[in-house]
Amino acid sequence: MSDKKFYLLEDRTSKSKFKNKNKIILNTKVSLSRNLVDHKFVDISGSQEKIALLEEIKKYVDNNKKFGNFQFYDIKVIKGLQRELFLMDYMIDSEMSRRLSGKGVYIKEDRAVRSSSAIIINNEDHVRIQSVYPGLKIYKAYNEVMKIEKYFEKGLTFAFDRKLGYLTASPSNLGTALRVSVIVHLPVLAASTGLVDLLKRIGKIGCQIGGYFRSQPEVTGNLFEVYNGVTLGKGEREILDEMKAICLSIIEEEQKARAQIKRNDLLGIKDNVYRSYGLIKYSKILSYEEALELLSIIRLGLDLDLIDDVNDFDFFELVNKLSDSRIMVDMEINDKIKGDRIDLIRADIIREKILKGS
Amino acid sequence: MKCDLCHVNEATIHLIKIQGDRVERINLCKECAKKFSFLSDENFYEDLAGILYKLLGEGSDNLSYKKDKKFWKNLKYARNRKCPYCGTDLNTIKRSGKVGCSNCYSEFKNELFPVIMSIQGSLENKSKIPVNTTRKIKLEKSLRDLKNKLQNEIVIENFEEAAKIRDRIRRLERNKYVR
Repeated sequence: MSDKKFYLLEDRTSKSKFKNKNKIILNTKVSLSRNLVDHKFVDISGSQEKIALLEEIKKYVDNNKKFGNFQFYDIKVIKGLQRELFLMDYMIDSEMSRRLSGKGVYIKEDRAVRSSSAIIINNEDHVRIQSVYPGLKIYKAYNEVMKIEKYFEKGLTFAFDRKLGYLTASPSNLGTALRVSVIVHLPVLAASTGLVDLLKRIGKIGCQIGGYFRSQPEVTGNLFEVYNGVTLGKGEREILDEMKAICLSIIEEEQKARAQIKRNDLLGIKDNVYRSYGLIKYSKILSYEEALELLSIIRLGLDLDLIDDVNDFDFFELVNKLSDSRIMVDMEINDKIKGDRIDLIRADIIREKILKGS
Repeated sequence: MKCDLCHVNEATIHLIKIQGDRVERINLCKECAKKFSFLSDENFYEDLAGILYKLLGEGSDNLSYKKDKKFWKNLKYARNRKCPYCGTDLNTIKRSGKVGCSNCYSEFKNELFPVIMSIQGSLENKSKIPVNTTRKIKLEKSLRDLKNKLQNEIVIENFEEAAKIRDRIRRLERNKYVR
């Protein structure tokens, strides 16, 4: 059997039409859940069992050269804020964060294309393989994940059922156990009724949409996350193609709305962009939420060629960089400081990053 | 048939929504349907799905994440029955929304399958299959793929290719009973 069998090729037909697609779809994540046969699932395993399983998987990965230079991190060993960042970045169950023994993450980063792959062990399922790419790269991320899965399959057997597909701890992941999620930036649709229509249509196909920050009820920075809601009854290809089609239609809707607002209310939108610019330029302290709202509008101004006083910047990169805990880790600040100081540093970081000539 | 909304015009648009074993029907005339769409004439038909959504009054809480809890509400179970492999009972499964081991799915098949159906809307797996699986599962998968392919070829009236696929299916089916 040839290796190429599982790899899918991206349909490149409609590329030119979506020139700006990576400014609207900011990030793609594909993840795959797997469990080993003849082991209890993570939720009911004791810490000894989890540690034993972690050692088993670790031994397998470390002795298999094909995996390449994955770096291992034991969640139990990492301390303080660094751990919090890990829990956030790799979506490790925060409810379970008190029971961290036996949890580990393998990480491989490709700095050139700013993609990263991770193998998360003993979170909800025994193994979660995920791949993250900037922009809209569903097929690339999927192929990456498949490659890693194949290395595992050579030596370990995953739980599989004829009728239910890959068996996972939660029934909502059964079947392909494949989750495709994209982060989208919709500053114009979010402010209009267009969003509601879009939500309804997406929901109809079995996809889900929510604010990017799951813990908060409101949407911050016009950032949304779209992901496939159904994993059983659809093949991998079908899920990927559907998500791709949805992404393209979201891009189209947002671009349509942007063109319309530029036609009908150019002054209004320009005013908004420059107000945000003024606030960024002169404010001394910026909370995370406010910073994201302002940057969202300035990003829109750049996309529409309305402002040239700022540098082109990667919105999603800043979203990650500006959170409280990230700033504290990057600046090596210990926990006992006032929130104001973080807000002050945040305002400085933004100015340094986006203002021209500073 | 008259339109469900105005009860005057003849209904020309019939919407049927099937979710699990629930079926809802709505019949509309073009004028009433348009009121729900806020759309101009030309992309009217493209947006039928959108109209359907408004009519059935769903999607209002679409911004919140899928609440898995509601699917578990109706899970019926007998006390004291435990999975012989991992010792998990249905009460625990209901509380956490997670099963204890891969054996739980077959042990509590009767209770869990309706829940899975309501979450996923299907009970028929179409995923790829693991490399190291039994010969039987592999055979079933390739048969299913071939049958789908056969249907597609028949639809586009490519009978020559269809005949070839049919022969392959026959060969595979004969193999199935050899061992």
